[in-house]
Amino acid sequence: MKLNRTMVVVFLTPALLLFFAIFVYPIARTVVMSLFSVENVTSSMNEWTFTGLKNYRDLVQTSLFRQSMWNIFRIWLVGGLVVMSFALLFAVILNSGIRFKRFFRAVIYLPNIISAVALATMWLQYVYAPRWGFLTNLFSWLGLEGLAATQWTAAGNKFWALTFAYCFGMVGYHMLIFSSGIEKIPHEFYEASSIDGASKPRQFTQITLPLLKGVIKTNITMWTITSVGFFVWSQLFSTVTTDLDTITPMVYLYLQVFSTGNTVMTREAGLGAAVGVTLGLCVVLIFVLTNLFIRDDELEY
Amino acid sequence: MKKIIAMLLLAALLLTGVSALAEGKTIVYWTMWESTEPQGQVIKEAVAAYEAESGNTVDLQFKGRTGMREGLQPALDAGTVIDLFDEDMDRVNVSWVDYLLDIEEMAKAANYEETANAGLIGAAREITGGTLKSIPYQPFVFAFFYNIDIFNEAGIEAPPATWDELLEACEKIKAAGYVPITSDDAYIITNLGYHMARLIGEEGVRRVVDNGEWAEEPAVLKAAEAYADLAEKGYLSPTIASSVWPTNQNGEFAMGESAIYLNGSWLPNEVKEMTGPDFNWGCFSYPAVEGGIHGVEAANFGSQVLAINKDSQVAQEAFDLIVKLTKGEFDAKLSIESVGIPADANNTEWPAMLASAKSVMDNLSVRYSWAAGIENNINMTAYIKQAFQQLCGGQLSPEQFVETLENASN
Repeated sequence: MKLNRTMVVVFLTPALLLFFAIFVYPIARTVVMSLFSVENVTSSMNEWTFTGLKNYRDLVQTSLFRQSMWNIFRIWLVGGLVVMSFALLFAVILNSGIRFKRFFRAVIYLPNIISAVALATMWLQYVYAPRWGFLTNLFSWLGLEGLAATQWTAAGNKFWALTFAYCFGMVGYHMLIFSSGIEKIPHEFYEASSIDGASKPRQFTQITLPLLKGVIKTNITMWTITSVGFFVWSQLFSTVTTDLDTITPMVYLYLQVFSTGNTVMTREAGLGAAVGVTLGLCVVLIFVLTNLFIRDDELEY
Repeated sequence: MKKIIAMLLLAALLLTGVSALAEGKTIVYWTMWESTEPQGQVIKEAVAAYEAESGNTVDLQFKGRTGMREGLQPALDAGTVIDLFDEDMDRVNVSWVDYLLDIEEMAKAANYEETANAGLIGAAREITGGTLKSIPYQPFVFAFFYNIDIFNEAGIEAPPATWDELLEACEKIKAAGYVPITSDDAYIITNLGYHMARLIGEEGVRRVVDNGEWAEEPAVLKAAEAYADLAEKGYLSPTIASSVWPTNQNGEFAMGESAIYLNGSWLPNEVKEMTGPDFNWGCFSYPAVEGGIHGVEAANFGSQVLAINKDSQVAQEAFDLIVKLTKGEFDAKLSIESVGIPADANNTEWPAMLASAKSVMDNLSVRYSWAAGIENNINMTAYIKQAFQQLCGGQLSPEQFVETLENASN
């Protein structure tokens, strides 16, 4: 078929223009902005002052930002391991031929359709409440007074309380992605291996896992992107002032760009842009590492 | 045919013009309140009354705090027509000062200050270098709020004015079976700010926070020792180190288990559904401490303010709307409905729940900004909060508290 260049241009131009306006321009502007001292995101460029890599140096030297990066790294790694493990476990169980599969899948996915605000409030005001919370009552009932007296949202505990609550809501989402991958694996593979005498665990390690490499990569990438954007839960676990246990880079960025705390401070949109670029680089790095270590075998089935 | 079309068009144009004249001008007003809040409800009523009287139209948009803080400046930069907006006094007059119209002349022409709160107008003027660029409304004062019934039951005759009197009161409250002082993570740091400001003033607090002089400034250790003492004597809530706002505000304090909470005068409004109408509200200024430079005459007080966009085409109309909102009937209504302090000096009757805050407010002569400057360093607030919570929870000694913050600031 003869290529009609005019038609290609006509059909591609609007899409390309939108792509540049909505994606390329903001990214480029943010990268450039991160090299300047800029008070406000909408400040015109003639108000910008070039400072080179100063914003990045300031970030590295700021212990609060380092703490926020440490928090997000732990949420990504520890939370990621927990969420992926449970998501994969539930996906495998749901696809093993159990009864009421659709019911259990809906139950596990349910937290995803509830507002994060409602979920976080439930965890804070009901589960973790120090005096009449669910955990306090449960451990008291079990006679574990030491655990019942634990203040789950005190310094040191609050980070884990937050991570646990967040992970609870994320399992269902990743379970669905795993589940869709498992459903694509032909049943004949399992039947053949069963005839050959393979146990269920062996089927999991020799068939399911290898054929889920692409899905695992997708899940890791999705988890990384949502982790990097960790914001709402952090805000809800420390409502008015920032907190060492809950601060994440996005919260730090928000504070710098909008100065939304009780005290009105100078805003630093340039510094916020540097945080944004740093987070973007983290996502790219993890994406590259994931591709490096988890290679698709290009199997056809 | 052409003539008919031309006539029709002319008629349409004339009709549009006439209707525009009949409708008057349009004022676009962005407010920080939600439409469901008492303030939002009263503003809606005031706007309706203004529209009926003036023939102008008000495009009232409820943006909420976050909407204003995130969206106002980008919208103004993008040329969105916003004639009137409101937010916290410091935020409007500091962050958005470049967008504000000087309303000194308008205020003078309307004789506005005759019935305005002189202290607040003075504060608004001071922030913008001596010129009036905003009109205060919904004033607040930040002080210790307390449960009068618990004080009476404990045999405390007068609210404490000095630190020693506070200790005595706490002992009596504890003996009566109540938790003397409570707080939540959102406000606990204000206790430290106030205590340090009593010793060295707000300038001193800012110096410590901004320059990291935690170990160098003896007032830090003194303040830490005072709160460690409260913790050791059992005067602080046992959950003070872990309470996420509003757990203790709504739980311990509003439920009558705890007697004292350092907070703004918005507190009665926030908890009125829990306390019910019978709760006896008391208020006293943060007590004077030994060797301090400030006493009960100093506190954080302020207000929300209304400001007019310097590019507004309807500035006078916007100012008239401000007058409608902040004077007479609707100021009184705002005060009653939101359990807030009236801005109009002629509205002398304060809501019963805030009656005791009036004497505190009337005796103030020194204004602290929020938390007396303790939250002035965005990179330190989280460290101060955590260390202070641990100090109040008995997990850190005063010396460890100072050392922790000194290390965090380096």
